[in-house]
Amino acid sequence: MKIQIILAGVGGQGILFSSRLFSDLGLKLGLEVTGAETHGMSQRGGSVVAHIKIGGYQSPIIRGGTADILYSLDENEAYKNLHFVKQGGHCFVNMVDGDRFNKNILDHLKKKNISVHAFDASGMAMEMGSVRAANICLIGYSVGTGSVPFTYEDLKDVLKSISRKSDLEQNLQIFDTSVARGKQ
Amino acid sequence: MSDKEYRRVLLGNVAIARGILEAGCHVITSYPGTPSSEIMPAAVAFKKEMGLDVYTEWSVNEKVAYDNALAASIAGKRSAVAMKQVGLNVAADSLMSSAYQGVVGGMLIVSCDDPGPHSSQTEQDSRFFAMFAKVPVYDPSSPQEAMAMIKDAYDLSEAFQIPVILRPTIRLSHGKQSVKLSTPEEIERPAHFEKDPGRWAATPRFRLQLHTKLNESLRQIQERFENDKRWNYEVGKNTGINLGIITCSTSFTVLMDLLDELDLKDKVNILKIGTPYPLPLARAVDFIDRHEKVLIIEETDVVIESQIIDKSKVLGRFSGHIPLQGELTPNVIHGILAKFFRENGVADLDTSADDELAKLVQELELPVRRPTLCAGCPERAAFWAIRRALPKAIYTSDIGCYTLGLNLGAVDTVIDMGAGITLASGFYQAYHQDKNDIPIVATMGDSTFFHSGTSSLINAVYNNARFILVILDNEITAMTGMQPTPGIGVTADGTEGRKIPLEDLITGCGIRWLRTIDPYNVKELIGLLKEAHAYVKSEEGGIAVIIARHPCLIKYQEELQIDRIKVEITEDCNGCRYCIDYFECPALSFDEANNRAEIDRKLCVDCGVCINVCAQGAIVEVDREND
Repeated sequence: MKIQIILAGVGGQGILFSSRLFSDLGLKLGLEVTGAETHGMSQRGGSVVAHIKIGGYQSPIIRGGTADILYSLDENEAYKNLHFVKQGGHCFVNMVDGDRFNKNILDHLKKKNISVHAFDASGMAMEMGSVRAANICLIGYSVGTGSVPFTYEDLKDVLKSISRKSDLEQNLQIFDTSVARGKQ
Repeated sequence: MSDKEYRRVLLGNVAIARGILEAGCHVITSYPGTPSSEIMPAAVAFKKEMGLDVYTEWSVNEKVAYDNALAASIAGKRSAVAMKQVGLNVAADSLMSSAYQGVVGGMLIVSCDDPGPHSSQTEQDSRFFAMFAKVPVYDPSSPQEAMAMIKDAYDLSEAFQIPVILRPTIRLSHGKQSVKLSTPEEIERPAHFEKDPGRWAATPRFRLQLHTKLNESLRQIQERFENDKRWNYEVGKNTGINLGIITCSTSFTVLMDLLDELDLKDKVNILKIGTPYPLPLARAVDFIDRHEKVLIIEETDVVIESQIIDKSKVLGRFSGHIPLQGELTPNVIHGILAKFFRENGVADLDTSADDELAKLVQELELPVRRPTLCAGCPERAAFWAIRRALPKAIYTSDIGCYTLGLNLGAVDTVIDMGAGITLASGFYQAYHQDKNDIPIVATMGDSTFFHSGTSSLINAVYNNARFILVILDNEITAMTGMQPTPGIGVTADGTEGRKIPLEDLITGCGIRWLRTIDPYNVKELIGLLKEAHAYVKSEEGGIAVIIARHPCLIKYQEELQIDRIKVEITEDCNGCRYCIDYFECPALSFDEANNRAEIDRKLCVDCGVCINVCAQGAIVEVDREND
C-alpha cells in the first residue's frame, strides 16, 4: 500500500491525534511512514494541516493534486485543502448538513472523479458524549464506507494502543458506531 | 533486552533529541524557539523514560545556553545546545570564538532553519554561519539520517576537537518518520578541566596560532568528507545521461519522491550532499565534469552553489533557476524541475494547476484564520488598555504571543528579542534630541525580558531615557509551547529552581517607578498607565514600569480559579463593530443578518473584560441569579 492523507481542521480538533493514528497504523503494517505537522500556532485558533505518507515515501509533504484522501474536521478548511486531492481521490468532511456543500465545487470535483463524503461527525460525537471525538467519528465513518484501504481491525488496534486509558472505552465505542454509520 | 532496536514514528525534533541521547550526550541546553522548541522536552521525556543521568537546562537565552554547553565540552563531556536559526545570532559571539579554541568532549549545535518563513524574522541559512565561524555542518535530509549524523558529528567533534553544527530545516524538525531506535551509549566522562591558558584564555597572539590550527583541521575534515559515502553519495548512476542535480536537506527527499512519481529517475543523476561545509569540493567538481548541465537545489541559500568556482555548467540561484526566497515546497521544486527538463529537451511536465477549483474556492470568500490572541488572553486586556490610555504613543514591542497585539493596533515595531526596550530608548533619544518628547509604550513578555530585557533596560535607565515599559507577565513562555521561565523557578525537567521575581530584577535595573496589576482590571490599568505617563513627563521622572501579571489561560487552564463573569450582548448593540475590530476576541463574532455582535459560548472563557470595551454599554454581565 502507498497512500497519502491530508488531515485538516482548526486548533483543538484532534488533528495531531489523528495524525498519530495513521502513522502508527503504517508502522503496524510494517510500512515506512513520513509526514508533517503544523506546530506552534494551533493553540492560537489558526488552521491546522497534517500530512501523512505511508508506504515508501521519503519527503514529509504532499504535493498538490496527489493526496488520496482528505479528512477535514471543518467545512471551510475542507475547501481550502481540496487542491491537495488527486483525481479519483476521496474527501471526508465533517459538516452538519451535507447538502450545504457548495454545488459548483461539487460538480467540479465530480469531473475529476473525486468523491465527497459529508458526515456530521461533530453531531455524532456529541450524541455519544464526547465532543472532542469528532476526529474518530469521521475516520470510523470512512472505514464504514469501504472507500478507504484500511481495515476496521487494524485501525481499532491502533486506536486501542494510542487512546488515553480514561478515553479508551468511549473511543472504541464511538469508533464502532461510526463505522456502522458509514456502512449504512 | 539490552541491545533492543525498535521502530517508532517520531517527530523530527524528537528524533534529534533521541539521537543526541543515543550518542551518549551528558549535558543539553536550549532556549525555545520555533522550529526547535520540541527538542528539549523530548530529551527530558526520554531521559526520564530511560533513567539517564543527563543534565538538561532551559537557559535564559541562546548565548547563555551555548556557553553552558561549551563549558561541559571543555571539561570533557559530550554536550548539545539547541536553538532556532535566529538564536544562533544571539550565540554568534560564543560560536565564533569557540571555533578557534575548540572543545574536548564532543559538542553539537542544533540550529533549526525556517525557510518560508513560518515562524521567524528571517530565512537565514545557518550553514552560512558554519562557514563564517569555520566549523563543520551536517545537513540532514530526514529524521533518521539526522539521528545517524549526530553520532558521526560527535565522533568528528572529538577527533578534531571542534564544535559541530547540525542544521535541520523546519520540514525535518516538524516532519515525522518511522525511525529505528537503539539504546543510548554509556560514556564515562567525569568532568575534568585541563588548564591551558594559551588555549582557554588565548590572547590575540595565541589566537593566530589557534586559527592556523583550525584551518588545518578544516582541511583534514574536508578530506574526510571527500571520502565519505554515508552523507555524500550519488543516486542513479545512469550512463549516457547529461543532466545532474546536486541537492541536500529535505529538498533531496522531495526531489526523490517527485522523480518517482513522475517516473523520471532514469533521466537524471543525483549527488546528495550531507556536509555542505566543508564541502567535498572535488566530488562536486567531478560530478559537474561528468554532466553537461547541473542544477543545484538547496535550502535556503547558496551555500553549496557559492563554493563551486566554475559555474559555466551550473544552474541554480545565480542563473535564476531557483527562487531567491521562500520555501522549496514540492510544488516549487516541481516547477523548477519542469523548467530544467524542458530547457534540456528531456520531458515536458504538466505544470497546470486546477485554476478553476482555486477560483471556485476563492469565490466562497472564506474567512482567513489569522493567528490571534486566545479568548480571555490577559495580553489582549493589557493592549486594549494601552491604546485607550495613550492612543498617540509609539508602541514598541517584541517577540512572543504578544506580537499579535499588532491586530489590536498596539504594536508598531517588532525587530528581535529585546528590541521592545532598546527601540523605546532609541526613539526617546532621537525625539528628545529635537526637544520633542512623545509618549512611548514598550511591551515585552516575561520570558523575553529574562532573555534580553535587562541589558536593554539598564542601558535605558543609565542614559536617562524616558518611556513606559509594560511587562506582560503570563508566567510562562507561551508562544513556543509553555516552557518555564526563571520567574516561576521551575527548570527543564520539572525540578525546582531558584525563582527570580521580576520585581527584584526591575528594581535592580535602577527603576524607581514600578507597579504590578492584573490586566483584567482594565479600568485600573488605564488609570495606572496615565499615572505612569505623568511620572515619565515629570521633572524627576524616568522610566515607568508596569508588570501586567495574569497567568496564561492555556497553560494554567486547570489550576486557574478566575472569578467567572458571564457576559451577554443586549439590544443596545448598534452594530458599530468596535468590539470586533478593536478588541478582536475570538469569542466575539458579527451577525451580519441582524447587524449585531454575538458571543460564541464555546470559546468564551467568562473573563468579562469586554464589558469595558463597548461604548454603548451593550456588553453586560448576565444577572447571576437568573443564570
